[in-house]
Amino acid sequence: MRPTRREVLQGALAATAGPLAPLANAQQALNGKADACIYVWLGGGAGHIDTFDPKRRGDGKDVPGSYYDSIPTAARDIRLCEHLPRLADRMDRCALLRTVSHDLNSQHGAASNLMHTGRKPSGTILYPSVGSIVSHELGSKSDDVPPYVVMGYPNIMRDAGFLGAGSGYVYLTQIETGPTGLNPAPDVDGDRQKRRQILLGRMRADYLARNDNDAVVRAKAEVSEQGFRMAGERFMDVFRLDQEASTVRESYGSDFGQRCLLARRLVQAGVRFVEVSFNLNFLNGTGWDVHQDGILKQHLLIQDLDRALSALLDDLDRHRLFDRTLVVVSTEFGRPPDFDAYGGRGHQADAFSTLFSGGAVRGGVAVGTTDEIGKTIVDTRVAVPDYFATIFAALGVDFAKNLFSNDRPVPITDQGRPVAGVLA
Amino acid sequence: MEYGSVWERQTVGSKRRMKCIIRLIAVSILTAGSSVSTTTEGHPVQVRIFEGQPEKQWLNPQGLPTSEYVEPAFAFVRIPARFSRNALPVDRSTPFSLEATMVQTLKRGEYRFRLRSKGLAVFLVNGEPLLHTGAQQPNKAAHDALPTASVGDESIRAAPPAHQDAVRRVSLDAGEHHFRLVAVIGGKGLAPFPGELSVSMARSGEVERVIGGNNAPLLIDADWEQHAASSKRRHHFEDIERRRASDDLVEDEWRARHRRVRAWMASRPAPEIPAHGDVGSIHNDVDRFVNAKLDEASIAPNPAIGDLAFLRRLSLDTAGLAPTAEQVEWYLGQAPDNRRAAAIERFLHGPDWADAWVPVWQDILAENPGILKPDLNNTGPFRWYLHQAFSDGYSFDRLVVELIEMEGSLYQGAPAGFGVASLNDAPMAAKADILGQAFLATKLSCARCHDAPFHPFLQKDLFGIAAMLHGDSIALPESSTVPVREGGRQPFVEVTLNPGELIDPHWPFDEIAAGLAAAPPPRNTAVDSRHVLASMVVSPANGRFAQVVANRVWQRFLGRGIVEPVDDWSGASVANPELLAYLAREFVMSGYDLKHLSGLILRSHTYQRRPMPDDPSAPGDGAKLFAGPLRRHMSAEQLVDSLHAVAGKALDSEELNLNPLGDRELRQFLNMGTPRRAWEMTALSNERDRPSLALPRAQAVVDLLSAFGWRQSRQSPLSVRDDDPSPMQTLALANGSTGTRVARLSDDSFFTRLALEDRPLEEMIDIVFRQALTRLPTPSERELMQDLLSPGFAERITHNGSDEVRTGEPDKTDRRVSWANHFDPKSTLIRMEEERKVRIGDPPTSRLTADFRERFEDMVWAVLNSPEFSVIP
Repeated sequence: MRPTRREVLQGALAATAGPLAPLANAQQALNGKADACIYVWLGGGAGHIDTFDPKRRGDGKDVPGSYYDSIPTAARDIRLCEHLPRLADRMDRCALLRTVSHDLNSQHGAASNLMHTGRKPSGTILYPSVGSIVSHELGSKSDDVPPYVVMGYPNIMRDAGFLGAGSGYVYLTQIETGPTGLNPAPDVDGDRQKRRQILLGRMRADYLARNDNDAVVRAKAEVSEQGFRMAGERFMDVFRLDQEASTVRESYGSDFGQRCLLARRLVQAGVRFVEVSFNLNFLNGTGWDVHQDGILKQHLLIQDLDRALSALLDDLDRHRLFDRTLVVVSTEFGRPPDFDAYGGRGHQADAFSTLFSGGAVRGGVAVGTTDEIGKTIVDTRVAVPDYFATIFAALGVDFAKNLFSNDRPVPITDQGRPVAGVLA
Repeated sequence: MEYGSVWERQTVGSKRRMKCIIRLIAVSILTAGSSVSTTTEGHPVQVRIFEGQPEKQWLNPQGLPTSEYVEPAFAFVRIPARFSRNALPVDRSTPFSLEATMVQTLKRGEYRFRLRSKGLAVFLVNGEPLLHTGAQQPNKAAHDALPTASVGDESIRAAPPAHQDAVRRVSLDAGEHHFRLVAVIGGKGLAPFPGELSVSMARSGEVERVIGGNNAPLLIDADWEQHAASSKRRHHFEDIERRRASDDLVEDEWRARHRRVRAWMASRPAPEIPAHGDVGSIHNDVDRFVNAKLDEASIAPNPAIGDLAFLRRLSLDTAGLAPTAEQVEWYLGQAPDNRRAAAIERFLHGPDWADAWVPVWQDILAENPGILKPDLNNTGPFRWYLHQAFSDGYSFDRLVVELIEMEGSLYQGAPAGFGVASLNDAPMAAKADILGQAFLATKLSCARCHDAPFHPFLQKDLFGIAAMLHGDSIALPESSTVPVREGGRQPFVEVTLNPGELIDPHWPFDEIAAGLAAAPPPRNTAVDSRHVLASMVVSPANGRFAQVVANRVWQRFLGRGIVEPVDDWSGASVANPELLAYLAREFVMSGYDLKHLSGLILRSHTYQRRPMPDDPSAPGDGAKLFAGPLRRHMSAEQLVDSLHAVAGKALDSEELNLNPLGDRELRQFLNMGTPRRAWEMTALSNERDRPSLALPRAQAVVDLLSAFGWRQSRQSPLSVRDDDPSPMQTLALANGSTGTRVARLSDDSFFTRLALEDRPLEEMIDIVFRQALTRLPTPSERELMQDLLSPGFAERITHNGSDEVRTGEPDKTDRRVSWANHFDPKSTLIRMEEERKVRIGDPPTSRLTADFRERFEDMVWAVLNSPEFSVIP
C-alpha cells in the first residue's frame, strides 16, 4: 500500500532526529505524579495584585497598588491578599506562578482562548483545549465516565479543535440540572427511564438484526449502548452532592464551592480533566472583570475563592486524591495596579499569577517576581507554552509530542518547557 | 387532519410563473409609491427612505429617496432591504431617515397622540411639529443597569426597553389632517433597526390605535404582536419578490454566457458512453459509466432499495429533512412505476432545496459570523446569500463569481461578508485558500506560512491569488512565516518569501489560465483582478472547476467522491475518470445547473441502490466503484431539522442577538435573527462564561448540533466532518433539552394531535412509525408498542380534550437583557432562570391523561433515539 502522507511525514521527522532533540529532555522532565486535573477558571481576568501577588496598598484613585492589605502565609516569604486567609494556611502545599505573561490585553475571548489552548488562533487550524488534549492522551479511566467535564459554558476555547468531537467534553452550567445530556429530563424518573430503555433496547436489537453486517449500523448501535452505560447509575451518583456529609458541603461554601466539591467527586469517579468556571457574576456585577464599580465588592469573590479552594485541597487530601490530582487556578490575564475613573481596574496581560497545587507540585513556592506594584516582571517571565508544558508534565503528558491535524504535525505545546521549580 | 405544513409550501410554481406574479405586485407597489395622493387599499401610509443625509437634515431629509413603499399603519418594525443591480442586499447609510405620511379625515375633537421611538424622531400634524423623541445614546461600557420593566398605562402595550414615548393631546377641527413622521434610524454606535417605531392616537376614553387604515392595530399587546409578525412576514416576502424581479437583466447576461459556454464545449469531444447489457441496473448514462467499471472488476451492482427507504434518502438529501407521514401518503399514492421519478421532481423543486445545500457550503466556505464582537476569522453572515443563490436557482458559476466579487452588504448577508476575516492579518490569503479547496480542490493552507511540503505550491502562489482578491500587491505579514529561533530547531518546511516582501496579483496555475477569453462571466465588481480571478475559475477551459463541483455533489449523494479527498486532488486517484468527465460536461452544458446535475445522479440506479455495508473509512473495491452508495448517517443539521419536522414543532430559539437594545453597532453585535432551520444557528460565543450572555434556548439546539459534528466556529474550511458516532451523541439526543422537547407531547406536538384522534391504537402506532422512520412497524415492534399503550387507551382523553389548541407561547425571553447591561446581577439571574425553564421544557398537554401521555412519549422517545432514526437508509 502507498504510505499515507502522515506516515511519510512521520518518517521524515524521525529521519531528522536532530531538530527534535528536546524530546529526550522532555522525557526526563515529565513528572507524571498526577493523573487528573482540576482547572479552576477565574474568567474575566482575576487581578493578581488583589489575590496572589499582593503589593503596597493603592488608594482606589491616583495611587496605584493593591486594593487590600496582605497577610503572611504558611510559606515563608509568600504573602497573599487578606481575603485569602484559609489559602494562606495551605500555601505550603501550593506553588504560585507570578509572572505568567502574554500580549493579548484587550480581548477576553482571545486571551481566554490562549489560556485554554496555549496558542493564538492561526485560522488554518483549530487548536484543541488543554482538557481535550489531556482526555485525548490519557483517555478515560473507565468506560463508564467521560474523560473531560466542564462546569461552565460550552465554547470553542474548551473544544477539541482538530482532535474532533470525540475528544470533547460534557458540560453543566447549574449543578441542580446536572450535565447536559447525562441526566434524563426532569420528568423522567427511574422507572420511566427503565421503560424507555427496554423499548429502545428492543428497537435497537431489531434494527441491528436486520442490518447485522453493516459497519455504520453496528457502530451506531454500539455507541447507543455505550452512551447509556456512561449515563448509568454509577456516574450519575457523582452528581448527587447530598450524599456528602452536610459539614463537607458547608465547608465548600457557595455555588462555586459546590462545583469544586463536584469536581472532587468527578475526579474520584475517574474523570481526567474537570474545568470549574467561577462565574458568580451576580456577587459583584462584573465577576473578576472589575472595571468601574465591579471592584467595590470584589472581596466577596476572593473570599468565596478562598473558602472553596481551601476546602477542595483538604477534601482531596482526605480522600487520598491530593497526591495524584493537579489543581490549577487560572485566568485570562491580571489587572493593573492603577485605577480607572470609577476606582475599577483595566486589563494586564504581561504579568499575572496562576496557582498550582497537588502532589505533583512543590509546595510553598512562588516563581517569578513582579515590581513593587505588580506592573512589570522583574525576573523569570513565564511564557504561555511553558505554563502549559508544566501542566502536561505534571500529568505525564509529553508536551513536545506531535499531534496531527490531517497531515500537519502540531506539537502539544508550542516549544514549551516546564517551568523550573514548580513540580516536585 | 393536517400533518404539518411543509408539504403545502411545495405549491410554489416555477420561477417564471412566480416572477409574473411578483412583477404584478411590484408594479402595484411602485404605482402606489410614485404619487403621494394615491393610496393602496389598506395601505394608506406612504413611506420614503432617505440616505446619506447631513446631520442637520436628518429630521428634514432632502433630495431623492432611495426607497418608496406603503404600509398599512404608522407601525414600522422592519425596513425593506435594498438590492444592487445583481440582486445583492446592500447596506443603507447609517443613520438613514424614514419619512411616513398620511392624510386622514377626522371628526372635530380632542385627540391624544403617542410617538414611540428608540431614537430621534419628530411627528407633525398639518406641518406643525407635535411630538419629539431624542436620540438613543450608544452604550460604551456594558455597565448600564437593567431597564425596569415598563408598566405604564395598563390599557396599552408598554414601551419596550430602550424606547421612548412622547404623548400630547391636541384639539383638531373636522376635516382632512396631514400626518408626517420623520425618524432617524441607526447612526454611529447604534444598530440600524427601527424597533417598535410607531405613532398612535385616540379620542379620550378610547384605546389608542396606531394611525393608519381601518385594519390598523390597537396599541395593545395582542393586536401589536399580530400586526408586527405579519408585517415582518410581508416585508420578508416582498424583499424576496423585489430581489427576484430586479434580477432579470443580470439573469439574461448569465444565460448569454451559458450559450457561449455551450458553444465552446460543443467543439470539444464528449465522453463516449459505455455500452452495457444488464438493463435491470441501469436507469441512465450515469449507471452505464458506473457499471462498466464494476464489470471490469467483476463486481455486481447492489439491488435497488425499497420505495420508502428511497423516499427517506431522497428527502434527507434534497430537503435536509425526513419525510413526514403526509408526504409518505402522497408518495404511496403515486403509480408504483412512476413514484420515484415523481418524488425526485417534487423534491428537486421543493421549498427546502436551499436548506439542504446551505449547510454544506457554510462548511466548505468557512462561513463564520459571530454575534459577540469579532473573533478570529469571523465573516459576515453570507449564509443568506447562499440561501438566496440556491432558492433563486442561480447557476453555480454565478454563485462562485459573485462570491469572488465580494460585493453587497458586509453584515446583512451579501458576498461582501465572504471577504471578511476579522483579526486576520492576511484575510485574502485565507479566502484564497478557501476558494482553492472549494472550487479547484487545491489545498493551499500550508502555503499560508511556508511552501507546501507535499504540494507543488510555493507561498507566493497563495499570496498571488490573495493579491488578486485584494486588488493590489500584498506584503507578506510578519506572522505568516516560520520563524527560526536562535539556536532553535530548523523547521521541516521551506520558506522562500521574507516577511514584508511584496507579492503581485497573479494566477499561479499555468495550465488553467488557457482559454480565459472563452465566455467571460458578467461582471459586477469594480475590482479588475477579482473579475479576472473569477473568470479564470469558472472558465470552461478550466476543466477542473466543473469536475470539482460535480465530484462534491456526487460525494454528497453517494457518501464518497469519485476523487478522494474532495478538497485536495494533488496525488489523488480517480475511481472513474470517464464518469467524472461525463458529469462535469453535463454540468457545464446545462449552464452550471445544480438541479440538472443532481437530477442525473438522483435518477440513476446507482443512487437508488442498497447501501454498502463497508466501514466508510475503509471501503472495499465495491464501495470505491459505487456498487452502491456508502452508508451515511444524518448530518447534525439533518438530525435536528428532522426531529422538529417529525414532532411538528418549530425550532425553539431566542433571536440570535446579544444587543436587543440596539445601542451597540451592528458590526460588533450581528443580529442573526431567529433560526427556522438548524443551519441558521451560530456560535453563541460565551467565552466570557457569563450567564447574562447566554441564550439558553439556542444553546439547547447548539448542544445537540455540536455533539453531532456541527462546528460552532468555522475558522477554516472543511469538506467532510469528523462526526463519527460517539457515546456523547447518544446522550445529547436522549437526555438533552432539544431531544426532550421534541419527544414531549405538548399541545403543539404532531403526536398530541394524533393521540387525540378517533383512531384505533394500531393505526396510531403505524402513523408514528411512518412519521418518524418512513416505514411501518415490524410485527414485533407493533406488539411492543401495543402492549405499552393499550392500558388506559380508551380513557386517554381528559375533559380538556376538546379545548382550543394552544398555539405558540409569547416570546419567553426577557428582551431587556442586552450587552449594555449584562454586568447587572439582575440580568444574570434572569438568564439563569430562563435556562432552568428550558430544562423543564414545553408544558405537556392536559388533554391526555398524564399516565397515557407519558407512555406515548416514551414510544416517541424510543423511536427517535433508535439508531435507525439517524442512519440514512
